[in-house]
Amino acid sequence: MKCDQVYLHICDNLDEDLNSPRCREIKAHLRECPDCRAYLDSLKKTITLYRAMPEPSVPARAHRELFKTLTTLGGRTGSKTRHAGRKT
Amino acid sequence: MNRQSYRHRPEDELIQAAKNADQGAFTELVRRYEETVYRFSYKICRDKTKAEETLQDTFINVFRKLRSFDGKSKFSTWLYTIVTNNCLMKLRRRKMADLEDSLEEFDHPPGRNDGRPGSVMARWEETPADIVMAGELRDLLDRAITRLPEDYRVVFVMRDIEGRSTEETASILDLSIEATKSRLRRARAFLRQQLHPHMSAHAEATP
Repeated sequence: MKCDQVYLHICDNLDEDLNSPRCREIKAHLRECPDCRAYLDSLKKTITLYRAMPEPSVPARAHRELFKTLTTLGGRTGSKTRHAGRKT
Repeated sequence: MNRQSYRHRPEDELIQAAKNADQGAFTELVRRYEETVYRFSYKICRDKTKAEETLQDTFINVFRKLRSFDGKSKFSTWLYTIVTNNCLMKLRRRKMADLEDSLEEFDHPPGRNDGRPGSVMARWEETPADIVMAGELRDLLDRAITRLPEDYRVVFVMRDIEGRSTEETASILDLSIEATKSRLRRARAFLRQQLHPHMSAHAEATP
């Protein structure tokens, strides 16, 4: 297997079982090719970095507006019960 | 029925009750999913105002369309389809053909001299998570994913950040499995390329 083919299939196998014939070929290639190993390693680190990015929470004002809108909609359509959302 | 009793009810019961106009059940569904919807929207839009608008639009759509949810897919899959459509409608400015052209180069390995001694691709150092939280690297990650066209960004976020399967991502986006894999491969390669100058320079500077 050449670097070009490894490059095309390497992503499919980042988080999958590496026991299929193609995966075994990729693994064999990676053992011999430092460039492809470095490439795979940098792809994994790219994903790790994005997973580590902080995530924002719903701002209290947006939460209040959402439940106000939904309560209004529920009122218009004659819902059975009304309920407030979380305390903000 | 008080709020606590809704909080302990299984999701399928809440959905059924909400379909029968039980506002308390609907409110509980919104409460369970509002953070998920907002965070996913933010990861796609990269803009808090757009994420707030998407949050509102999504649950208005859910309120109006819930009766049409047939339970054949998971509720979360159905919800992701609505959020994604809302996000992409806000962001989509270019035609898909332009986007395909723009990332086709990522179907080939980055330039290098294959296998020759001394030509090994520059390696990346480990980056502790706390360094990602602040400063230059966070800005770099944010700029890179903002440059990634949204039709690729949404696949990257679903697969690699949210951990959804290829099959579910394909179903939500109405794509084939192959197209989903192709977009993911290009998205990963694009982001890696955007980060590479910084990360390889960092590695060289580290003893």
